[in-house]
Amino acid sequence: MVSYPFSFVRFWLFVLSLAAGLLWVVPPAALAEGGHAHGGRSHHPQLELPQGKECVKPVEWMRRNHMDFLKQSREMAVREGVRVRSDSLKNCATCHVSRAKFCDRCHAYTGVSPNCFECHHYPQ
Amino acid sequence: MIDEYAAIEGRSSGYFKLLGLMGLLVALGGAAFVYIEVNGHGVTGMNNTVVWGLPHIFAISLLVMASGSLNLGSMSTIFAVKHFKPFGRFSAFLAIALLAGGLTVLTLDLGRPDRMLLIMLHMNFRSMFTWNVFLYSGFTVLCFLYLWSMFQFPQFTKVAGSAAFAWRFVLTTGTGSIFGVIHAREVFHSAITAPTFVAISLTSGTALSILLLVTSFRLTGRVLDLRLVHALRNALIFFLLLVLYLLVVEKFTKFYSPAFYDVEQWILTGSYAWLYWGGVVLLGVIAPLAVLFNHHWGNQMGGIVLAAALVVMGLFLFVGFVLVAGQSYPLNMFPGYEVTSVFQDGMEGSYAPSLVELLLGLGGVGVSGLLYLLGIRFFRLLPQKATAPEGWDVAWHP
Amino acid sequence: MTMATLDRRSVLGLGGAMAAGVVLAPGVSLLAAPVERTEASGDRRWAMLIDLSRCTADCTACLSACRKENNVPLFGEPSRDVHWIRKVEIRDRDRRRPAVNLPVLCNHCEHPPCVHVCPTEASFVRKDGIVLVDEHRCIGCRYCMIACPYKARSLVYHETRRGLESNPGVPIRSKGVVEKCTFCVHRLDEGREPACVEACKAGGKSAMLFGDLNDPDSDIAKRVRSVATKTIRPDLGLKPRVHYQGL
Repeated sequence: MVSYPFSFVRFWLFVLSLAAGLLWVVPPAALAEGGHAHGGRSHHPQLELPQGKECVKPVEWMRRNHMDFLKQSREMAVREGVRVRSDSLKNCATCHVSRAKFCDRCHAYTGVSPNCFECHHYPQ
Repeated sequence: MIDEYAAIEGRSSGYFKLLGLMGLLVALGGAAFVYIEVNGHGVTGMNNTVVWGLPHIFAISLLVMASGSLNLGSMSTIFAVKHFKPFGRFSAFLAIALLAGGLTVLTLDLGRPDRMLLIMLHMNFRSMFTWNVFLYSGFTVLCFLYLWSMFQFPQFTKVAGSAAFAWRFVLTTGTGSIFGVIHAREVFHSAITAPTFVAISLTSGTALSILLLVTSFRLTGRVLDLRLVHALRNALIFFLLLVLYLLVVEKFTKFYSPAFYDVEQWILTGSYAWLYWGGVVLLGVIAPLAVLFNHHWGNQMGGIVLAAALVVMGLFLFVGFVLVAGQSYPLNMFPGYEVTSVFQDGMEGSYAPSLVELLLGLGGVGVSGLLYLLGIRFFRLLPQKATAPEGWDVAWHP
Repeated sequence: MTMATLDRRSVLGLGGAMAAGVVLAPGVSLLAAPVERTEASGDRRWAMLIDLSRCTADCTACLSACRKENNVPLFGEPSRDVHWIRKVEIRDRDRRRPAVNLPVLCNHCEHPPCVHVCPTEASFVRKDGIVLVDEHRCIGCRYCMIACPYKARSLVYHETRRGLESNPGVPIRSKGVVEKCTFCVHRLDEGREPACVEACKAGGKSAMLFGDLNDPDSDIAKRVRSVATKTIRPDLGLKPRVHYQGL
């Protein structure tokens, strides 16, 4: 194998790590859309507002915790047989009537794919 | 001081070809796994009657051979057969390599391998599978410690070797018990299933060790004393007789009770009788014994290698019989009645392995092979030469 | 009065009000929205009784009701089609008795071998005795299918999809997990009966009886006390919960 000067290797290693680091810092969406009216920040997903008066829990809490909330109520319902109507996925659908216009929008934006909907029905 | 052990050179085209072959098997196995994952188990030959098929045959055979291959090391460490001492490192490393291959296939065949970690988080201690998780991982650790002691701390070799030896008995009993404890399956529900697995691990492990040692030494131009192979042959004969004994005792006990006439008759004369007589009995026990007892064949390297190959094949066929025939025999829900339904009640199961299952199984073989080849190349596992002292000979010859 | 000039009394009053608010607030929010909470009871012992004198060979009402209610998939492959309940015909080998046709389903055994062998506890016994598969935890190893003596379980061999005829109230199962009869646990928790039992009643046969054996006033408890019933392979010691009258 040909031996390159150390400074040459070091230079390119630096460039590579810089590129890798940048990829973490700059949101890929900004790179893809390449600058628009919002001054460089990507727009939030537009979620269809629910039809009910208020959620079973405050919005901010739900935003952060609905995954654990649903998981916990799932474990209680399936394994312990404790079903709380207000905590069920079916109940969410009474206000958040469309999966495509609510749940999927944020999931697509954040790049998560919960596999709940593989089996559980949720109206589109 | 010249070390007794040396890594192989590993630069010949033959070595690279073998490495490439093993790598290819691993790649194909990975592709098969992805194919099954994406399309569902419907692409395999398994169905609701025969739920475990070719991948499990490979996986369990590799795991059984893994515990068996520790034999050589154990014989030297525990039974003080000094002449096998040079093979100790090879033996422990081979055990780890085979274990890795077997576990790879087993976990990749799960319906939902993405949930595999759940086994760690929610353990059911009544399940033989959970026991096996601990037994296999513990065995890997012990084999590693045994290896390490042989490299660096010879004063601990006896302790590590004894621990690994005792552990492997529990492990193989655990593997056999996966089947033996299931009351629903009359073909293999028996207290003697687990001991049979232990005995067959002894035979197949020794046989595989013979095959690999002879091949490795020949391909690297190292000297392997024929008398050592004779010693291994004698051990193999003893273990084969043990397997034969256990098979006979099981059949005798089962046939004694009229309750088992149906199932035993099916085993010995039914649709899988060819597998039982041809595979398990003939190929696995009788033919190797015939070869090894033969005055001409049993003393030659070629004959012993042939017998060893038959024994390894016999293991696969034995596991195949336990799995496929064991699941094909219809569940006996209504003793004394003929049963029919749209769900194949009362019907024998049918199973035809698919290519994708074969590739998955071979992927496990590839993993083990790759690990072994890389191991002997990078570690000083094999002795430079394996010779027995002048004038020494085995006690018995055919 | 500004915050800086509060006197002691009003501080105590305010503090007490805040403390009371903190303690009561969670309760208030719970009370404000009345929640429906049902819980499986450990005192129950769900069981089924099938009267074979009323069950006819040509009737498959229970089978279709189960399939429809629970989205049980059919793949068009006989060896892989899923059947949570199926009709079995048994014929005495010596031909001394006439053939018997009976529905066979998961027996929800008291000592279920499937639960014993499941490595992740995905197969478990619920408090009220129903044996369920937690489809979120099943890894698809199929050991339970080997262990079940009644062939009650099936692996989902292909991807399943919701169609027009799918029941939206019940989930479908993804490929790679094992499924079986659940005694329509979702209906039980609502106080209804399993779909097969309901369909049998609707069809006029009423061959299937379902209820709580621990409740001495239930129909099933009374019937079990008055007639001889059998279970399939009682010698296995599993204590199945599906009893047959007239087997």
